[in-house]
Amino acid sequence: MPPKPAELVQGTLDLLILKTVAQGPIHGYGIAQKILVLSKEILQVQQGSLYPALHRLERKGFVRSEWKPSGNGPMAKLYSLTPEGWKQLQEEKRQWRRYTGAIAMILGED
Amino acid sequence: MNLPWNKAESQLNREIAYHLQQLTDEYLRQGYSPEEAARQARKEFGGAEQFKEQCRDERRFAWLTGLRQDIVFGLRMMRRTPVVTAAAVLSLALGIGANTAIISLMDVVMWRPLPVDHPAQLAFIDWQGQGFPHGLADSASGSSWADGGMKIANFFSYPAWESLRRNAADRAQIAAYEDSKQVSISFAGRPTVGEERGVTGNFLALLRVRPFEGRLLSDADNTPAAPPAVVLSHRFWANTLGSPGNAIGHTITINNRLLTIAGILPKEFYGLYPGDKTDLYTPLRHAAGTAMNTDQPDDFSNNRYWGVQMIARRAPGVTDAQLQAVLDAIFPSTWSRPAQDAKLAPHIHVQDGASGDGALRREFRSPLLVLGALVALLLTIACTNIANLLLARAAARRSEVAARISLGCSQRRLMRQFLTESALLALLGGLASVAIAYVGANVPGQFLTFRDSEPIMVALDGRIFAIVGICTAAALLVFGVFPAWHSSRLPSGLAAREGTGVLGYSGRSRWTGGRLLVLVQIAMSVILVMTAVMFTRNLQAIEHSNPGFDRRNIVMFGLRPGTSGYGKSQLAGFYFNIEKRLAATPGVEVAGLASMRPMNIGGWWEDIRLTGGTPSFSVNVNGISASYLSLYTRGLVAGRNFTQADINSESKVAILSEDLARKLGGNSVVGRNVEFTDGPPGAKPSVFQVIGIAPVIVATSMKDHPYVLWLPHDREARGTTVVIRTGPPPQAMLPSIRKAVADIDPNIPLVEVTTMEEQISKGLQRERMFATLCGGFGALALLLSVVGLYGVMSYSISRRRSEIGVRLALGARPRDVMAMVLREGLVLAGAGILIGVPVIFLGAKYVAKELYQMKPIEPLTVSLTLGILLLSAIVAISIPALRASSLEPSETLRQE
Repeated sequence: MPPKPAELVQGTLDLLILKTVAQGPIHGYGIAQKILVLSKEILQVQQGSLYPALHRLERKGFVRSEWKPSGNGPMAKLYSLTPEGWKQLQEEKRQWRRYTGAIAMILGED
Repeated sequence: MNLPWNKAESQLNREIAYHLQQLTDEYLRQGYSPEEAARQARKEFGGAEQFKEQCRDERRFAWLTGLRQDIVFGLRMMRRTPVVTAAAVLSLALGIGANTAIISLMDVVMWRPLPVDHPAQLAFIDWQGQGFPHGLADSASGSSWADGGMKIANFFSYPAWESLRRNAADRAQIAAYEDSKQVSISFAGRPTVGEERGVTGNFLALLRVRPFEGRLLSDADNTPAAPPAVVLSHRFWANTLGSPGNAIGHTITINNRLLTIAGILPKEFYGLYPGDKTDLYTPLRHAAGTAMNTDQPDDFSNNRYWGVQMIARRAPGVTDAQLQAVLDAIFPSTWSRPAQDAKLAPHIHVQDGASGDGALRREFRSPLLVLGALVALLLTIACTNIANLLLARAAARRSEVAARISLGCSQRRLMRQFLTESALLALLGGLASVAIAYVGANVPGQFLTFRDSEPIMVALDGRIFAIVGICTAAALLVFGVFPAWHSSRLPSGLAAREGTGVLGYSGRSRWTGGRLLVLVQIAMSVILVMTAVMFTRNLQAIEHSNPGFDRRNIVMFGLRPGTSGYGKSQLAGFYFNIEKRLAATPGVEVAGLASMRPMNIGGWWEDIRLTGGTPSFSVNVNGISASYLSLYTRGLVAGRNFTQADINSESKVAILSEDLARKLGGNSVVGRNVEFTDGPPGAKPSVFQVIGIAPVIVATSMKDHPYVLWLPHDREARGTTVVIRTGPPPQAMLPSIRKAVADIDPNIPLVEVTTMEEQISKGLQRERMFATLCGGFGALALLLSVVGLYGVMSYSISRRRSEIGVRLALGARPRDVMAMVLREGLVLAGAGILIGVPVIFLGAKYVAKELYQMKPIEPLTVSLTLGILLLSAIVAISIPALRASSLEPSETLRQE
């Protein structure tokens, strides 16, 4: 039996989305699949919860969206990173590393 | 529709549908059946509706879109319950409208500045002292009033004005004027009456009104040699004369004098105070109605006749206090001699004049404050009703709220929805209240007549609408927040489980919030109803009190022969002939003359004592003809009446009222002398021999009953009041009375014709204002709380239908159910009343001085109030009680 997928740490969803969107225009379904694949199926994201987060990031100006025909099927809403979003991604990455570094240091002393 | 929110909504749906489709396709590829694939996809995606709701919250125009939805939803809720909504809007509108009306009136009476240039520079010059300035003045015309321990008075001699004006010219401009007097007028051959105010030449220029047409008066007009000129008020020119285009330069006859119209004042200038009914401004030297003797210019150089009042415009930078100090230093030099006792000497008192003459404010300040407090209470009751309504509506929507919360609607969002709904109600109420204020604003003003002033006109302007806006916002805050908070606080799990009428749930349906509000409401209406009962009884008691004579079939009017060309020597003959001619007119039972109009505010007051005796008494004095007392009584208690001979010989005799005679020693007082104690020190006092004792009749007003001293009518008086008792109703007699007067002299107008009953009720304006307005407010308050009580009880019954059904099914009789509901409602109403009653006792002292013949708390008043409230409560409760007792058990149980 495979190990149970991990619940997402609070507040990291925005970081994951920014990182995923940074690699090019991508729709919501694509983002969900990519997070699943890249994390080797460890991280389990409730897929619907991507959308409030995406809309929030869009409102803040970190991502922008446009409707385009997707590979084979109907029109899909594709998200991509804005320059502000790129800066935000760097900032969130830096904070995440500080955070995990601190946790690792504590665990390392154990 | 290609509106932004619709587009966003459809895009959101498409986006999520796309995602679900992709997931489903993936599962299909893995070999699931279509149904199973769709199910797995939904599972993996999570609660789509919940996420959609969150997305909507994130939307760029989330706030605005939400507002529109709230409004549309709120309007839909209102449309669903039109009667309830209309009742809510109407009660709110009445509450706000009544407040607007009273606040507007307060504004006009107390705060609004005079409509002239730089009103803040204006000041009224008065003096304060111990009372009438004996030793300094022989006679006076003006008014005085108590202010703390001191008396303040506004009358000065004409030479004092000249001196103060000249010597303080660098500090202020000062003008003088008299009280307005009624005069008879003829313009272009048409006779009419008007109100004339004698003023100094600089009066209008000082006020800086800009003439609508023509010019203002100048100092040159106020000289004996100047051609007589007059300036008209716009109202008089437009309403009485009919806006003649050629008025300027035209002549006008005032009391048989010919004057030339010099100018017309602007429309917005109403005079020295709101309701000032002055029609004509005439230079004092040429004023026809003036109390000063314009034929013999004595009064203008006589500094012992104090008959003019003063208004000043301070120079920039000069304060009231500085002006007062300067004028006070000059004041003693204007007296005929130094004051005997420096401590008792009068001192100048300067009052701010921006809002005009303060007499109106002094008279109506405290009644208006009482009324203001009452309408504020009324608005609170109305708001409470709205809060209750919203609570009930929210409670009825519990399942809807529960559904929305479980679908992910945030509590903030819900609270906003409820607040929007109450804001909509407030907005509608506010709009409706503008209409009510428009109609109602002038209603209270009609009651505020003062010195026979015009009814005070309350013109609706932007400021009033601003007041309405503030009231609306305040009301919204009061009645919107509590229900909104209360309803959105609902814990979602609990709400979802609660159905509409689960048995055993009835305990919670007792709905404490609503009950609390009704309790407060009833307590507040106790106050309003009690006030209404109090003032209504007060008015009735005064109106029905016995004046000591039959008040029906008496008519009175003024005659002013002295201002219509009669010389002193001709007056006695005129009065004699008038009285004789009227007495001979068929239908006239008695005709008498009095120098003071009966039942009038003000009058002639003196302090008298028995010559040689010590205690002195304040008495109301009137000079009367020989037949005057027979208008009221059949005969005297003791002694004899005046005779024509007494009047002709100006004999020093007096008749006392019975109550005064009793104080002075009973019937033995006939034959003794009384004297005025208030003569100038050292001068010989006026002494009168008592020749008779008259029964007590009310002479000045139904409200107070002073001692009365009757003296023979002054045969050379410049004017008189004719009082006539008629056989037929006085209105029917007026033509023959007019003809009788015209037979003696067709040029003498009858002024201020009223019946005794009208004259009495004129003196009770203030009582009538209180009784009418408080009655209205009380009825409104009662209605609103009855609606509130009814609402709470019906709601409670509707929540307990199944419980009542079970009771009935188990054998309870309808009568038991009815008793149960009645008991519950009456406990609620009774508790409210119990809370309200102590407040009454606390508040009683604030209204006590508006009552004349009774105390604020009287057993009958209290029991009437409680009776009215309880009766209304029973009516309100019995409707839902009847409905409850007629429930069909089978039906209510099937509904579960």
